Amino acid sequence: MTDLVLEHVHKNFGGVIASNDVSMRVPAGRITGLIGPNGAGKTTLINLITGMLSLSSGRVLFGGRDISAEPADKVARAGMGRTFQNIRLQKEASVLANVMVGFHRHETCSLVAAILGLPSSRREDALLRQKAMALLGRFGMAGHADSPAGSLAYGHQRKVEMMRALATDPDLILLDEPVAGMNDVEALQLGRIFRELADEGKAILLIEHNMRFVQELCDHVYVLDGGRLIAEGKPRDVVADPAVITAYLGEE
Amino acid sequence: MDTLLSFRPLFDLFLIHLGFAYSQYIVLRAGAFSIGNVGLSAIGAYTAAILTVNYGLPLPVTLLAGAFAGLAFGALLAIPLARLRGVYQAIASLAFVQIVLSANLYAENVTGGAMGFSGIPKLVGTGTLLVFALATIHVMLAISRSRLGRAFDAVREDEGMAVSLGINAARTQAIAYMISGLLAGLFGSLEALHSYAVEPNQFGFHLIIVILSYVVLGGRRSVWGPLVGVALLIALPEISRPLADARIMIYGLILMAVMNFMPRGIVDTLVARRTRAANPEVRQAEVKG
Repeated sequence: MTDLVLEHVHKNFGGVIASNDVSMRVPAGRITGLIGPNGAGKTTLINLITGMLSLSSGRVLFGGRDISAEPADKVARAGMGRTFQNIRLQKEASVLANVMVGFHRHETCSLVAAILGLPSSRREDALLRQKAMALLGRFGMAGHADSPAGSLAYGHQRKVEMMRALATDPDLILLDEPVAGMNDVEALQLGRIFRELADEGKAILLIEHNMRFVQELCDHVYVLDGGRLIAEGKPRDVVADPAVITAYLGEE
Repeated sequence: MDTLLSFRPLFDLFLIHLGFAYSQYIVLRAGAFSIGNVGLSAIGAYTAAILTVNYGLPLPVTLLAGAFAGLAFGALLAIPLARLRGVYQAIASLAFVQIVLSANLYAENVTGGAMGFSGIPKLVGTGTLLVFALATIHVMLAISRSRLGRAFDAVREDEGMAVSLGINAARTQAIAYMISGLLAGLFGSLEALHSYAVEPNQFGFHLIIVILSYVVLGGRRSVWGPLVGVALLIALPEISRPLADARIMIYGLILMAVMNFMPRGIVDTLVARRTRAANPEVRQAEVKG
Protein backbone atom coordinates (compact mmCIF):
# COMPACT_ATOMS: atom_id res chain seq x y z
CA MET A 1 0.00 0.00 0.00
CA THR A 2 1.39 3.34 -1.00
CA ASP A 3 0.58 6.10 1.44
CA LEU A 4 1.62 9.72 1.08
CA VAL A 5 2.89 11.37 4.23
CA LEU A 6 3.80 15.03 4.64
CA GLU A 7 6.01 15.91 7.62
CA HIS A 8 6.27 19.59 8.60
CA VAL A 9 6.31 20.75 4.99
CA HIS A 10 7.40 24.36 4.80
CA LYS A 11 7.80 26.66 1.83
CA ASN A 12 8.52 30.34 1.66
CA PHE A 13 9.00 32.55 -1.38
CA GLY A 14 11.28 35.19 0.12
CA GLY A 15 9.25 36.62 3.00
CA VAL A 16 5.96 35.08 1.89
CA ILE A 17 5.14 31.83 3.62
CA ALA A 18 3.13 29.70 1.19
CA SER A 19 3.16 26.53 3.19
CA ASN A 20 3.57 26.62 6.96
CA ASP A 21 4.49 23.44 8.82
CA VAL A 22 1.94 21.22 7.04
CA SER A 23 1.74 17.61 8.15
CA MET A 24 -0.82 15.31 6.64
CA ARG A 25 -1.48 11.78 5.53
CA VAL A 26 -3.10 10.54 2.31
CA PRO A 27 -3.66 6.81 2.78
CA ALA A 28 -4.11 4.29 -0.01
CA GLY A 29 -7.66 3.18 -0.66
CA ARG A 30 -9.10 6.44 0.66
CA ILE A 31 -10.24 9.74 -0.78
CA THR A 32 -8.66 12.55 1.19
CA GLY A 33 -9.95 16.09 0.75
CA LEU A 34 -8.00 19.32 0.84
CA ILE A 35 -10.09 22.45 1.04
CA GLY A 36 -9.50 26.08 1.85
CA PRO A 37 -10.33 29.55 0.55
CA ASN A 38 -8.67 30.97 -2.54
CA GLY A 39 -4.99 31.65 -1.97
CA ALA A 40 -4.80 29.23 0.95
CA GLY A 41 -1.86 27.45 -0.66
CA LYS A 42 -3.58 24.31 -1.91
CA THR A 43 -2.01 24.27 -5.36
CA THR A 44 1.37 25.21 -3.86
CA LEU A 45 1.10 22.14 -1.67
CA ILE A 46 0.35 19.94 -4.71
CA ASN A 47 3.38 21.42 -6.48
CA LEU A 48 5.54 20.68 -3.44
CA ILE A 49 4.31 17.09 -3.29
CA THR A 50 4.88 16.46 -7.00
CA GLY A 51 8.34 18.01 -7.06
CA MET A 52 7.34 20.96 -9.25
CA LEU A 53 8.51 23.18 -6.38
CA SER A 54 11.29 22.46 -3.91
CA LEU A 55 10.62 22.37 -0.18
CA SER A 56 12.21 24.94 2.13
CA SER A 57 12.10 22.35 4.92
CA GLY A 58 10.19 19.24 5.92
CA ARG A 59 9.77 15.90 4.20
CA VAL A 60 7.46 14.21 1.72
CA LEU A 61 7.31 10.43 2.02
CA PHE A 62 5.69 8.30 -0.64
CA GLY A 63 5.33 4.63 0.10
CA GLY A 64 7.89 5.12 2.87
CA ARG A 65 10.46 6.66 0.52
CA ASP A 66 11.64 10.24 0.95
CA ILE A 67 10.89 12.02 -2.34
CA SER A 68 11.32 15.60 -1.07
CA ALA A 69 14.37 16.30 -3.21
CA GLU A 70 13.45 14.35 -6.33
CA PRO A 71 12.69 16.05 -9.65
CA ALA A 72 9.08 16.11 -10.85
CA ASP A 73 9.49 13.55 -13.62
CA LYS A 74 11.01 11.05 -11.18
CA VAL A 75 8.20 11.63 -8.71
CA ALA A 76 5.71 10.96 -11.50
CA ARG A 77 7.50 7.75 -12.42
CA ALA A 78 7.36 6.69 -8.76
CA GLY A 79 3.58 6.50 -9.26
CA MET A 80 2.09 9.93 -8.74
CA GLY A 81 -0.42 11.29 -11.23
CA ARG A 82 -1.99 14.74 -11.19
CA THR A 83 -4.38 17.05 -12.94
CA PHE A 84 -3.96 20.79 -13.18
CA GLN A 85 -6.29 23.51 -11.93
CA ASN A 86 -5.71 25.48 -15.14
CA ILE A 87 -6.21 22.64 -17.62
CA ARG A 88 -2.99 21.76 -19.43
CA LEU A 89 -3.60 19.77 -22.60
CA GLN A 90 -2.07 19.56 -26.06
CA LYS A 91 -4.92 21.59 -27.47
CA GLU A 92 -4.52 20.81 -31.14
CA ALA A 93 -3.79 17.12 -30.68
CA SER A 94 -6.65 14.62 -30.58
CA VAL A 95 -8.16 13.46 -27.31
CA LEU A 96 -6.73 10.01 -27.99
CA ALA A 97 -3.21 11.38 -28.47
CA ASN A 98 -3.53 13.37 -25.26
CA VAL A 99 -4.44 10.26 -23.30
CA MET A 100 -1.84 8.03 -24.99
CA VAL A 101 1.06 10.19 -23.87
CA GLY A 102 0.06 9.29 -20.30
CA PHE A 103 1.24 5.71 -20.86
CA HIS A 104 4.80 6.98 -21.24
CA ARG A 105 6.23 5.48 -18.08
CA HIS A 106 4.96 2.02 -18.96
CA GLU A 107 6.25 1.89 -22.53
CA THR A 108 8.77 -0.84 -22.97
CA CYS A 109 9.83 -0.88 -26.61
CA SER A 110 13.42 0.21 -27.15
CA LEU A 111 14.46 3.59 -28.44
CA VAL A 112 15.97 2.03 -31.54
CA ALA A 113 12.74 0.18 -32.27
CA ALA A 114 10.82 3.46 -31.93
CA ILE A 115 13.20 5.31 -34.26
CA LEU A 116 13.29 2.60 -36.91
CA GLY A 117 9.59 1.81 -36.68
CA LEU A 118 10.22 -1.85 -35.89
CA PRO A 119 7.25 -4.18 -35.27
CA SER A 120 7.66 -4.01 -31.49
CA SER A 121 7.08 -0.26 -31.59
CA ARG A 122 4.07 -0.61 -33.87
CA ARG A 123 2.57 -3.34 -31.68
CA GLU A 124 2.99 -1.20 -28.59
CA ASP A 125 1.35 1.73 -30.36
CA ALA A 126 -1.66 -0.40 -31.30
CA LEU A 127 -1.93 -1.82 -27.78
CA LEU A 128 -1.81 1.62 -26.15
CA ARG A 129 -4.42 2.86 -28.60
CA GLN A 130 -6.72 0.10 -27.35
CA LYS A 131 -5.99 0.83 -23.71
CA ALA A 132 -6.61 4.53 -24.28
CA MET A 133 -9.93 3.76 -25.98
CA ALA A 134 -10.90 1.63 -22.97
CA LEU A 135 -10.19 4.60 -20.67
CA LEU A 136 -12.21 6.87 -22.94
CA GLY A 137 -15.07 4.40 -22.69
CA ARG A 138 -14.91 4.42 -18.91
CA PHE A 139 -15.27 8.20 -18.88
CA GLY A 140 -17.98 8.20 -21.56
CA MET A 141 -15.71 10.02 -23.98
CA ALA A 142 -15.24 7.42 -26.73
CA GLY A 143 -17.16 9.56 -29.20
CA HIS A 144 -14.63 12.36 -28.81
CA ALA A 145 -11.50 10.26 -29.49
CA ASP A 146 -10.50 12.14 -32.65
CA SER A 147 -11.59 15.64 -31.67
CA PRO A 148 -8.84 18.15 -30.94
CA ALA A 149 -8.68 18.40 -27.15
CA GLY A 150 -8.81 22.20 -27.21
CA SER A 151 -12.18 22.14 -28.94
CA LEU A 152 -13.99 20.31 -26.13
CA ALA A 153 -16.18 21.86 -23.47
CA TYR A 154 -14.46 22.71 -20.21
CA GLY A 155 -15.79 19.74 -18.28
CA HIS A 156 -14.71 17.35 -21.02
CA GLN A 157 -11.23 18.82 -21.06
CA ARG A 158 -11.00 18.08 -17.34
CA LYS A 159 -11.93 14.48 -18.08
CA VAL A 160 -9.16 14.24 -20.68
CA GLU A 161 -6.67 15.41 -18.04
CA MET A 162 -7.98 12.78 -15.65
CA MET A 163 -7.75 10.00 -18.23
CA ARG A 164 -4.20 11.07 -19.04
CA ALA A 165 -3.29 10.98 -15.34
CA LEU A 166 -4.91 7.54 -15.01
CA ALA A 167 -3.00 6.28 -18.03
CA THR A 168 0.18 6.61 -15.97
CA ASP A 169 -1.45 4.01 -13.64
CA PRO A 170 -0.54 5.97 -10.53
CA ASP A 171 -0.72 4.77 -6.93
CA LEU A 172 -1.65 8.30 -5.87
CA ILE A 173 -3.77 10.74 -7.84
CA LEU A 174 -3.80 14.44 -7.04
CA LEU A 175 -6.90 16.07 -8.44
CA ASP A 176 -6.81 19.87 -8.50
CA GLU A 177 -10.44 20.99 -8.66
CA PRO A 178 -11.60 18.13 -10.90
CA VAL A 179 -15.29 19.05 -11.09
CA ALA A 180 -14.94 22.81 -11.58
CA GLY A 181 -17.13 23.78 -14.52
CA MET A 182 -19.22 20.60 -14.39
CA ASN A 183 -22.87 20.20 -13.52
CA ASP A 184 -24.03 18.01 -10.64
CA VAL A 185 -24.79 15.00 -12.83
CA GLU A 186 -21.32 15.01 -14.40
CA ALA A 187 -19.72 15.59 -11.00
CA LEU A 188 -21.61 12.66 -9.55
CA GLN A 189 -20.47 10.38 -12.39
CA LEU A 190 -16.87 11.37 -11.78
CA GLY A 191 -17.30 10.93 -8.06
CA ARG A 192 -18.34 7.35 -8.70
CA ILE A 193 -15.17 6.77 -10.75
CA PHE A 194 -13.02 8.28 -7.97
CA ARG A 195 -14.64 5.94 -5.48
CA GLU A 196 -13.92 2.95 -7.73
CA LEU A 197 -10.29 4.03 -8.01
CA ALA A 198 -9.98 4.30 -4.25
CA ASP A 199 -11.56 0.88 -3.89
CA GLU A 200 -8.90 -0.46 -6.25
CA GLY A 201 -6.38 0.65 -3.64
CA LYS A 202 -5.25 3.98 -5.04
CA ALA A 203 -4.75 6.97 -2.78
CA ILE A 204 -6.63 10.07 -3.88
CA LEU A 205 -6.05 13.65 -2.82
CA LEU A 206 -8.92 15.84 -3.88
CA ILE A 207 -8.70 19.62 -3.93
CA GLU A 208 -12.12 21.06 -4.36
CA HIS A 209 -14.28 24.11 -3.80
CA ASN A 210 -17.57 22.28 -4.24
CA MET A 211 -18.33 21.52 -0.56
CA ARG A 212 -21.20 19.20 -1.31
CA PHE A 213 -18.94 17.11 -3.52
CA VAL A 214 -16.28 16.97 -0.81
CA GLN A 215 -18.77 16.00 1.86
CA GLU A 216 -20.22 13.22 -0.22
CA LEU A 217 -16.94 11.77 -1.36
CA CYS A 218 -14.12 12.31 1.09
CA ASP A 219 -13.24 10.03 3.96
CA HIS A 220 -11.08 12.62 5.63
CA VAL A 221 -10.63 16.34 5.04
CA TYR A 222 -7.83 18.80 5.71
CA VAL A 223 -8.51 22.54 5.74
CA LEU A 224 -5.80 24.94 4.68
CA ASP A 225 -5.81 28.69 5.28
CA GLY A 226 -2.90 31.07 4.77
CA GLY A 227 -0.59 28.10 4.18
CA ARG A 228 -1.46 26.55 7.57
CA LEU A 229 -3.69 23.60 8.42
CA ILE A 230 -6.53 24.93 10.55
CA ALA A 231 -8.66 21.82 10.83
CA GLU A 232 -8.92 18.17 9.88
CA GLY A 233 -11.33 15.33 10.40
CA LYS A 234 -14.56 13.88 9.03
CA PRO A 235 -16.13 16.16 6.43
CA ARG A 236 -19.28 16.65 8.53
CA ASP A 237 -17.28 17.76 11.57
CA VAL A 238 -14.92 19.96 9.62
CA VAL A 239 -17.59 22.08 7.96
CA ALA A 240 -19.10 22.75 11.38
CA ASP A 241 -15.74 23.86 12.82
CA PRO A 242 -15.88 27.56 13.78
CA ALA A 243 -12.32 28.15 12.54
CA VAL A 244 -13.27 26.79 9.10
CA ILE A 245 -16.43 28.88 8.92
CA THR A 246 -14.40 31.96 9.82
CA ALA A 247 -11.80 31.17 7.16
CA TYR A 248 -14.42 30.82 4.44
CA LEU A 249 -16.95 33.45 5.45
CA GLY A 250 -14.93 35.85 7.59
CA GLU A 251 -15.54 36.91 11.22
CA GLU A 252 -19.01 37.66 12.48
CA MET B 1 14.72 12.50 -71.22
CA ASP B 2 17.27 15.24 -71.69
CA THR B 3 15.08 17.75 -69.93
CA LEU B 4 14.65 15.29 -67.07
CA LEU B 5 18.40 14.81 -66.84
CA SER B 6 18.95 18.54 -66.73
CA PHE B 7 16.88 18.68 -63.57
CA ARG B 8 19.04 16.07 -61.92
CA PRO B 9 21.40 18.47 -60.10
CA LEU B 10 18.35 20.24 -58.77
CA PHE B 11 16.84 16.96 -57.59
CA ASP B 12 20.13 16.08 -55.87
CA LEU B 13 20.08 19.43 -54.11
CA PHE B 14 16.48 18.78 -53.10
CA LEU B 15 17.40 15.42 -51.56
CA ILE B 16 20.38 16.77 -49.61
CA HIS B 17 18.47 19.76 -48.33
CA LEU B 18 15.58 17.49 -47.38
CA GLY B 19 17.94 15.77 -44.96
CA PHE B 20 19.09 19.14 -43.59
CA ALA B 21 15.47 20.23 -43.20
CA TYR B 22 14.61 17.11 -41.19
CA SER B 23 17.63 17.60 -38.93
CA GLN B 24 16.15 21.03 -38.14
CA TYR B 25 12.58 19.76 -37.91
CA ILE B 26 13.30 17.08 -35.33
CA VAL B 27 14.71 19.49 -32.71
CA LEU B 28 11.87 21.95 -33.26
CA ARG B 29 9.41 19.09 -32.92
CA ALA B 30 10.86 18.33 -29.49
CA GLY B 31 10.49 21.95 -28.44
CA ALA B 32 14.17 22.85 -28.66
CA PHE B 33 14.90 26.02 -30.60
CA SER B 34 18.37 25.05 -31.75
CA ILE B 35 19.92 25.84 -35.11
CA GLY B 36 23.11 24.02 -34.23
CA ASN B 37 22.37 21.36 -36.85
CA VAL B 38 24.13 23.50 -39.47
CA GLY B 39 27.35 23.27 -37.45
CA LEU B 40 26.81 19.52 -37.11
CA SER B 41 26.45 19.26 -40.89
CA ALA B 42 29.80 21.01 -41.26
CA ILE B 43 31.38 18.53 -38.86
CA GLY B 44 29.92 15.61 -40.82
CA ALA B 45 31.00 17.06 -44.16
CA TYR B 46 34.60 17.67 -43.09
CA THR B 47 34.83 14.31 -41.34
CA ALA B 48 33.74 12.47 -44.47
CA ALA B 49 35.93 14.61 -46.76
CA ILE B 50 39.07 14.19 -44.69
CA LEU B 51 38.60 10.46 -44.13
CA THR B 52 38.02 9.92 -47.86
CA VAL B 53 40.84 12.06 -49.24
CA ASN B 54 43.56 11.75 -46.58
CA TYR B 55 42.92 8.21 -45.42
CA GLY B 56 41.26 6.64 -48.44
CA LEU B 57 38.52 5.00 -46.42
CA PRO B 58 35.58 3.46 -48.33
CA LEU B 59 32.24 5.22 -48.68
CA PRO B 60 30.20 3.28 -46.08
CA VAL B 61 32.86 3.92 -43.45
CA THR B 62 33.12 7.65 -44.16
CA LEU B 63 29.34 8.12 -44.19
CA LEU B 64 29.05 6.25 -40.92
CA ALA B 65 31.87 8.30 -39.41
CA GLY B 66 30.29 11.57 -40.60
CA ALA B 67 26.91 10.59 -39.18
CA PHE B 68 28.36 9.53 -35.85
CA ALA B 69 30.49 12.66 -35.58
CA GLY B 70 27.26 14.64 -35.97
CA LEU B 71 25.52 12.48 -33.39
CA ALA B 72 28.36 12.79 -30.87
CA PHE B 73 28.59 16.57 -31.18
CA GLY B 74 24.78 16.74 -31.06
CA ALA B 75 24.91 14.91 -27.72
CA LEU B 76 27.56 17.34 -26.46
CA LEU B 77 25.54 20.33 -27.66
CA ALA B 78 22.51 19.04 -25.73
CA ILE B 79 24.28 19.50 -22.39
CA PRO B 80 24.62 23.31 -22.32
CA LEU B 81 21.42 23.86 -24.33
CA ALA B 82 19.34 21.90 -21.80
CA ARG B 83 19.80 24.82 -19.41
CA LEU B 84 18.44 27.37 -21.89
CA ARG B 85 15.03 27.97 -23.40
CA GLY B 86 13.58 29.65 -26.46
CA VAL B 87 15.54 32.47 -28.02
CA TYR B 88 18.52 31.92 -25.69
CA GLN B 89 18.80 28.39 -27.01
CA ALA B 90 18.80 29.77 -30.54
CA ILE B 91 21.53 32.30 -29.75
CA ALA B 92 23.74 29.72 -28.04
CA SER B 93 23.32 27.27 -30.91
CA LEU B 94 24.14 30.04 -33.40
CA ALA B 95 27.35 30.58 -31.43
CA PHE B 96 28.09 26.88 -31.86
CA VAL B 97 27.69 27.18 -35.65
CA GLN B 98 30.10 30.14 -35.60
CA ILE B 99 32.61 28.20 -33.51
CA VAL B 100 32.59 25.30 -35.97
CA LEU B 101 32.92 27.74 -38.86
CA SER B 102 35.88 29.50 -37.23
CA ALA B 103 37.55 26.23 -36.34
CA ASN B 104 37.29 25.12 -39.96
CA LEU B 105 38.76 28.46 -41.06
CA TYR B 106 41.69 28.40 -38.66
CA ALA B 107 42.65 24.72 -38.69
CA GLU B 108 44.16 25.28 -42.10
CA ASN B 109 46.45 22.27 -42.24
CA VAL B 110 43.55 19.89 -41.57
CA THR B 111 40.59 21.58 -43.23
CA GLY B 112 42.20 23.69 -45.91
CA GLY B 113 41.07 26.89 -44.19
CA ALA B 114 39.26 29.57 -46.15
CA MET B 115 40.28 27.95 -49.44
CA GLY B 116 38.11 24.99 -48.55
CA PHE B 117 38.80 21.32 -48.84
CA SER B 118 38.80 20.20 -52.44
CA GLY B 119 39.66 17.21 -54.59
CA ILE B 120 36.96 15.07 -53.01
CA PRO B 121 35.95 12.24 -55.34
CA LYS B 122 32.29 12.20 -56.29
CA LEU B 123 31.17 8.97 -54.66
CA VAL B 124 27.54 9.85 -54.10
CA GLY B 125 24.95 10.03 -56.86
CA THR B 126 21.21 10.51 -57.10
CA GLY B 127 20.49 6.87 -56.20
CA THR B 128 22.38 6.97 -52.90
CA LEU B 129 20.82 10.31 -52.00
CA LEU B 130 17.36 8.98 -52.78
CA VAL B 131 17.87 5.92 -50.58
CA PHE B 132 18.97 8.02 -47.62
CA ALA B 133 16.20 10.57 -48.14
CA LEU B 134 13.54 7.85 -48.21
CA ALA B 135 15.05 6.19 -45.16
CA THR B 136 14.95 9.55 -43.37
CA ILE B 137 11.27 10.05 -44.17
CA HIS B 138 10.56 6.52 -42.93
CA VAL B 139 12.36 7.23 -39.66
CA MET B 140 10.52 10.53 -39.20
CA LEU B 141 7.16 8.80 -39.72
CA ALA B 142 8.15 5.96 -37.36
CA ILE B 143 9.16 8.44 -34.65
CA SER B 144 5.89 10.32 -35.07
CA ARG B 145 3.87 7.21 -34.35
CA SER B 146 6.02 6.05 -31.45
CA ARG B 147 6.50 6.83 -27.79
CA LEU B 148 9.33 9.13 -28.81
CA GLY B 149 7.06 11.29 -30.98
CA ARG B 150 4.50 11.49 -28.20
CA ALA B 151 7.20 12.55 -25.74
CA PHE B 152 8.53 15.17 -28.21
CA ASP B 153 5.06 16.63 -28.67
CA ALA B 154 4.37 16.72 -24.94
CA VAL B 155 7.66 18.46 -24.12
CA ARG B 156 7.14 21.00 -26.92
CA GLU B 157 3.56 21.83 -25.98
CA ASP B 158 4.00 22.09 -22.21
CA GLU B 159 7.13 21.01 -20.39
CA GLY B 160 5.51 21.08 -16.95
CA MET B 161 2.73 18.84 -18.16
CA ALA B 162 5.19 16.44 -19.80
CA VAL B 163 7.21 16.22 -16.60
CA SER B 164 4.05 15.46 -14.59
CA LEU B 165 3.62 12.37 -16.77
CA GLY B 166 7.09 11.11 -15.93
CA ILE B 167 8.78 12.36 -19.09
CA ASN B 168 12.36 13.48 -18.55
CA ALA B 169 12.42 16.67 -20.63
CA ALA B 170 16.21 17.08 -20.78
CA ARG B 171 16.71 13.47 -21.84
CA THR B 172 13.95 13.66 -24.43
CA GLN B 173 15.47 16.76 -25.99
CA ALA B 174 18.94 15.22 -25.84
CA ILE B 175 17.59 12.35 -27.96
CA ALA B 176 16.22 14.90 -30.43
CA TYR B 177 19.63 16.61 -30.59
CA MET B 178 21.31 13.29 -31.27
CA ILE B 179 18.89 12.31 -34.05
CA SER B 180 19.28 15.79 -35.47
CA GLY B 181 23.07 15.46 -35.27
CA LEU B 182 22.99 12.06 -36.95
CA LEU B 183 20.95 13.41 -39.86
CA ALA B 184 22.98 16.62 -40.10
CA GLY B 185 26.25 14.67 -40.07
CA LEU B 186 25.00 12.12 -42.58
CA PHE B 187 23.66 14.62 -45.09
CA GLY B 188 26.69 16.85 -44.54
CA SER B 189 28.85 13.84 -45.51
CA LEU B 190 26.65 13.13 -48.53
CA GLU B 191 26.97 16.76 -49.60
CA ALA B 192 30.77 16.62 -49.31
CA LEU B 193 31.03 13.39 -51.30
CA HIS B 194 28.63 14.70 -53.91
CA SER B 195 29.99 18.14 -54.68
CA TYR B 196 33.81 17.70 -54.98
CA ALA B 197 34.62 20.37 -52.38
CA VAL B 198 33.53 21.87 -49.09
CA GLU B 199 34.36 25.26 -47.62
CA PRO B 200 33.67 26.72 -44.16
CA ASN B 201 31.21 29.47 -45.13
CA GLN B 202 29.00 26.99 -46.92
CA PHE B 203 27.76 25.99 -43.44
CA GLY B 204 27.12 29.46 -42.10
CA PHE B 205 24.34 31.92 -41.52
CA HIS B 206 23.08 31.65 -45.07
CA LEU B 207 22.39 27.94 -44.77
CA ILE B 208 20.70 28.49 -41.39
CA ILE B 209 18.23 30.90 -43.01
CA VAL B 210 17.63 28.60 -45.95
CA ILE B 211 16.93 25.56 -43.74
CA LEU B 212 14.73 27.50 -41.33
CA SER B 213 12.77 28.80 -44.34
CA TYR B 214 12.03 25.24 -45.46
CA VAL B 215 10.62 24.24 -42.11
CA VAL B 216 8.77 27.47 -41.39
CA LEU B 217 7.19 27.53 -44.84
CA GLY B 218 6.28 23.84 -44.95
CA GLY B 219 5.30 23.31 -41.34
CA ARG B 220 6.96 22.23 -38.13
CA ARG B 221 4.60 19.57 -36.87
CA SER B 222 3.59 17.26 -39.71
CA VAL B 223 6.35 15.07 -41.14
CA TRP B 224 5.33 16.29 -44.61
CA GLY B 225 5.92 19.94 -43.73
CA PRO B 226 9.68 20.05 -44.39
CA LEU B 227 9.23 18.05 -47.60
CA VAL B 228 6.77 20.58 -49.01
CA GLY B 229 8.94 23.47 -47.83
CA VAL B 230 12.10 22.14 -49.50
CA ALA B 231 10.27 21.24 -52.72
CA LEU B 232 8.69 24.70 -53.05
CA LEU B 233 11.74 26.75 -52.18
CA ILE B 234 14.06 24.74 -54.42
CA ALA B 235 11.66 24.78 -57.35
CA LEU B 236 10.74 28.43 -57.05
CA PRO B 237 13.92 30.08 -58.36
CA GLU B 238 14.01 27.57 -61.21
CA ILE B 239 10.47 28.28 -62.31
CA SER B 240 11.12 32.00 -62.38
CA ARG B 241 14.69 32.02 -63.62
CA PRO B 242 15.14 35.80 -63.73
CA LEU B 243 14.44 35.93 -60.01
CA ALA B 244 17.08 33.32 -59.17
CA ASP B 245 19.64 35.97 -58.30
CA ALA B 246 17.29 37.45 -55.76
CA ARG B 247 16.78 34.05 -54.15
CA ILE B 248 17.59 35.00 -50.57
CA MET B 249 15.45 38.14 -50.80
CA ILE B 250 12.52 36.09 -52.07
CA TYR B 251 13.04 33.64 -49.20
CA GLY B 252 12.86 36.57 -46.81
CA LEU B 253 9.65 37.88 -48.34
CA ILE B 254 8.06 34.43 -48.29
CA LEU B 255 9.05 33.96 -44.67
CA MET B 256 7.47 37.26 -43.68
CA ALA B 257 4.30 36.46 -45.60
CA VAL B 258 4.05 32.94 -44.14
CA MET B 259 4.65 34.09 -40.57
CA ASN B 260 1.90 36.68 -40.93
CA PHE B 261 -0.74 34.74 -42.79
CA MET B 262 0.07 31.09 -42.10
CA PRO B 263 2.12 31.02 -38.92
CA ARG B 264 2.01 27.23 -38.76
CA GLY B 265 3.28 26.67 -42.28
CA ILE B 266 1.49 25.25 -45.28
CA VAL B 267 1.04 21.61 -44.26
CA ASP B 268 0.12 22.21 -40.62
CA THR B 269 -2.40 24.87 -41.63
CA LEU B 270 -4.04 22.47 -44.08
CA VAL B 271 -4.11 19.70 -41.48
CA ALA B 272 -5.75 22.03 -38.95
CA ARG B 273 -8.30 23.10 -41.53
CA ARG B 274 -9.19 19.50 -42.31
CA THR B 275 -9.57 18.62 -38.62
CA ARG B 276 -11.89 21.59 -38.20
CA ALA B 277 -13.97 20.48 -41.15
CA ALA B 278 -14.27 16.98 -39.70
CA ASN B 279 -15.29 18.33 -36.27
CA PRO B 280 -17.93 21.00 -36.90
CA GLU B 281 -18.47 21.64 -33.20
CA VAL B 282 -14.84 22.66 -32.86
CA ARG B 283 -14.21 26.14 -31.67
CA GLN B 284 -11.21 27.85 -33.22
CA ALA B 285 -8.32 26.16 -31.45
CA GLU B 286 -5.71 28.46 -30.07
CA VAL B 287 -2.94 29.12 -32.57
CA LYS B 288 0.30 28.06 -31.03
CA GLY B 289 3.85 27.03 -31.91
